[in-house]
Amino acid sequence: MFVTLDHPAPAGSAAPAEEVARSVPAASSAGRRWAGRLTPYLYLLPAVVLLGVWVYKPLVETFRLSVYDWNLVPTAPMTYVGLENYATVLALPELHDALRNTLLYTAAFLVFSVVLPLVFALVARRVTGRARTLYQALIFVPYLITPVATSAVWRWLFAEEGGALTSALRSAGLDIGNVFRDPSAVIWAVIVIVGWQMLGFGVLVVSAGLAGINPDYGHAAAMDGAGAATITWRITLPLLSPTLVFLALMTILLSAQWTYPVIDILTQGGPGTASTNIYYLLYQFGFRNFDAGLSAAAGTIFFVGFGLIAAVFVELSERLSFYDN
Amino acid sequence: MAFVVLPAPAGRVPAVAASAAADRPRGLARIAGLSGAHLVLGVLAVVSIFPVYWMFATALRAPEDSLSQNPVVWPVSWANLAYVWDAIPLGSMLLNTFGMSLVLAVAQLLVAVLAAYGFARWSFPGRKILFLAFVGSWLVPFQVTMIPNYLLVSQMGLLDTVAGVIVPNLCSAFAVMLMRQHMQAFPSDLLDASQMDGRSSWGTLWRVVVPNMRPALAALAIMLFISAWNEYLWPSLVLRSSDQLVQVGIRSFLGAEGNNWGAVMAASGLACVPILLIYLFLQRYVVDAFVRSGLR
Repeated sequence: MFVTLDHPAPAGSAAPAEEVARSVPAASSAGRRWAGRLTPYLYLLPAVVLLGVWVYKPLVETFRLSVYDWNLVPTAPMTYVGLENYATVLALPELHDALRNTLLYTAAFLVFSVVLPLVFALVARRVTGRARTLYQALIFVPYLITPVATSAVWRWLFAEEGGALTSALRSAGLDIGNVFRDPSAVIWAVIVIVGWQMLGFGVLVVSAGLAGINPDYGHAAAMDGAGAATITWRITLPLLSPTLVFLALMTILLSAQWTYPVIDILTQGGPGTASTNIYYLLYQFGFRNFDAGLSAAAGTIFFVGFGLIAAVFVELSERLSFYDN
Repeated sequence: MAFVVLPAPAGRVPAVAASAAADRPRGLARIAGLSGAHLVLGVLAVVSIFPVYWMFATALRAPEDSLSQNPVVWPVSWANLAYVWDAIPLGSMLLNTFGMSLVLAVAQLLVAVLAAYGFARWSFPGRKILFLAFVGSWLVPFQVTMIPNYLLVSQMGLLDTVAGVIVPNLCSAFAVMLMRQHMQAFPSDLLDASQMDGRSSWGTLWRVVVPNMRPALAALAIMLFISAWNEYLWPSLVLRSSDQLVQVGIRSFLGAEGNNWGAVMAASGLACVPILLIYLFLQRYVVDAFVRSGLR
């Protein structure tokens, strides 16, 4: 099942590696022994340095920037303001709108990436062979479409004049006008677009999860007289839960980022703050208003918040993953 | 900790058998169920494909027919494509994006192979904490670190260059974690044998480990390439005032051409063609790579 962080390496697998590592230098001088000890670190060096320079050092830098007032111009002075940025950012109405939108986005994407895929995958598992491969091939395509093209084609589908979707809805008696200018509709348009990209991926992941479940459990239950529905509820779903938790965690961690290109290209968070989310807000604070401190303070808050959410999920998936072991 | 790999390849065989429970109802009920499944999948496939089809359909109509709702495009017109090709340097943008994605995929793969080998083959002080650092980087959303990254790239004088897009992404924590998993599954007998043949750890890596892991490496390389190609946020920050990559170039084309739908769809379609070609030829590979490993 899911491979965990760093299991205390099973005795059997760790021993040979240790042996191997030692047996080389054993024959030679102390210098060689040192070199032997260093070996794993040398292999890790490029990755660790890159990670430090481009992820962890910037993270610390963000923490530091969050207590300064600075406009991103290298020659401009940085003024220490303590926790003022945090107070400012928490009081901003934009932040509250963005937070509310982010919650709505996340909930909606959970439907597109977990709930609907689960339903579709359960229904679709009866289809096998070539037909299944063909369907899967088609369903996965949206996930591969480059975001700028996705945004462009959906803007065209939603176009007020001649858009295929707008026209179809109009002939069905529903005039949606220009969704990207409509404050109450715009967020749903973004949800549909990003949901369209995620749906097929979710279906394929859940299908793979279903295929990985040992059918013996189902057979045994059927032999005991369980019906198809009971088997689904009592056996399939519990065994599938690690996959579902994984998908949910991915959705929560990444959905805000997946929406970024669509928001940036189609709505820029608007009209007003109707379609913005916390990530887009971070971008606007930093690169539109050139307020590094505010962006950093908001970033720090979200980093801590997301860390807590992820911790809950990790705990959850650890609890659930014992089922199939 | 669920980051990396989904239910392991155990899937192959059960794929057929998994429907055992569903197989039980015989006769009419079974046929009804199967047609229902085909219906659901069919609708899903149409919903997935239609926007992509419509993009190419609009691109291939004569410019004056852009607003046509006719699902069949005939005769095909190359006018939109020709127009876009002249209007923006699409050829060089595609080439640059291809080069960038290739460099990133190869570099990320190389860095990941080395690090994963270090993690999987030895146990050493600090291994756990270092590995945690890679896993933990998942929790650092890029938007949180983008300002310091931007400043660093700017100090290095790489703003507005493709190099500025590449350098911060040379290490993919995801690739490291995935490779480590593959390497841990590598039979240690082979490593021992190579050791006995007198190969150094370096020789063992390139002569024994890597050649035996070609399918996994190829899958990861494809995935990294596609992800690099589809990356939007960072290129759009670094390349604010130039048309060097398709993502950024087409965004500004979109702004400039507004409702010239034929031209906009032609540009967007061309931006997708390379990835769709890869998908066409390596379909199973691509799907497996993405699905097995969970995400882009």
